Amino acid sequence: MSQVGSMTMLLSEASGPSLPTIKDFLPPEILFQGTPFAINRIIFIRIVATIVLLTVMCVTASRVKLIPGRWQSAVEWVLDFVRNGIVYSVLGSERGKRYVPMITTIFMTVFVFNLCGVIPGANMAATATIATPLVFALWTWCQYWIAAAREQGLGHYLKEEMFPKGVPWPMYVIVAPIQLFEIAIVRPFSLTLRLFANMLAGHMLVGTCLAMGQFYIIEMSNKLMTLVGGVWLIAGLVFVCFEIFVAALQAYVFATLSTVYISQSYPQAE
Amino acid sequence: MPQATDGVRLFLPETYDIVWSLVILVVIAVAFYKFILPKFQSVFDERAEKIEGGMAKAQKAQEDADAAKRKYEDQLNNARVDAAKIRDDARDEAGSIIADAHKRADAEATQITTNARRSIASQQQQALVSLKGQVGTLATALAGKILGAKLEDGDVQSTMIDSVIDELEQSK
Repeated sequence: MSQVGSMTMLLSEASGPSLPTIKDFLPPEILFQGTPFAINRIIFIRIVATIVLLTVMCVTASRVKLIPGRWQSAVEWVLDFVRNGIVYSVLGSERGKRYVPMITTIFMTVFVFNLCGVIPGANMAATATIATPLVFALWTWCQYWIAAAREQGLGHYLKEEMFPKGVPWPMYVIVAPIQLFEIAIVRPFSLTLRLFANMLAGHMLVGTCLAMGQFYIIEMSNKLMTLVGGVWLIAGLVFVCFEIFVAALQAYVFATLSTVYISQSYPQAE
Repeated sequence: MPQATDGVRLFLPETYDIVWSLVILVVIAVAFYKFILPKFQSVFDERAEKIEGGMAKAQKAQEDADAAKRKYEDQLNNARVDAAKIRDDARDEAGSIIADAHKRADAEATQITTNARRSIASQQQQALVSLKGQVGTLATALAGKILGAKLEDGDVQSTMIDSVIDELEQSK
């Protein structure tokens, strides 16, 4: 029965456009199969992106000059944006100082990894498996719990978060567990899923548009269908641009939310 | 149902995926924390220092200029006061000089007047004396012509002359 099913699937795949599937996100292991260090296509992309990011940043950093050139100015602009636009604007410069390297690391890495989704040859965001966003989110999770324990003590933090002021006390029966669930589980998982789902959806969108374009223009020998294929192709190009925007936006959202969560660990007194 | 299990697998991270994510995150974080950001930060600090240094220098130059300006203004004021003082002194001096000159001129004038008066008086005296002599001679001659030899006698002559002169003086 399942054989027949897979046969029909194969047939339909052979005759129709090769649409992206979720199998793209579960690529086979290509190196060190079966070990904890197995490498598949997405991990390979991630490693290459890491090497590129670190090489570019280290070379820029080692050649950094007092009077910046064009490239250095651009990099400095990004670093300045993360520091002032995200960290200092949420936490203030005094508290924020400690978190600038963390948020910069998150922003730059997520942005570059996201961009891999539209880089020809990779065509897959390095953040498009659940593990990478999860690891980033867990880092944030650790940081805001540590900040809470350091700044106001865990007991006080939990009390403030679970029993917010101004809520009539019978409501605490409902509010307290929800709040606890929120700070313990929802925050990291929302960070993870938001990023992962965005990358997944972006790949599906761009992949579908380009596959349809390819199918109608090249594989079908019909003039009218070529026109349809052109529309798909243009849509694909638009979505590629949109994905570049989403790559930056999701990096910004991830970095900003991480900062906001950390800032909420500080006492709310002032 | 391979699609359904794939869908679930999508949200279940593989061990090796977590390992690689973690390794990569640590590598990137270490690079950013230990090398990239400190390097940039040092340049940012240096730049800020340069700018602040420049501003301090400008501030100092401004202060210097202010001090110099104050000094020159003081000097100018002093000079103005000095000039006024000199002018006043000069005016005083001129006044005293004029007063002196006036005094001297007055004294001279008095002197001249006195001298003139004195010389007039002496000349008058001389004139009177010589006139007395001449008038005597003249009168004698006149009277001799009128009276002839009668009045040749000297005593009579002088008594007569004196009495005539006395009369003249009294009638004056």
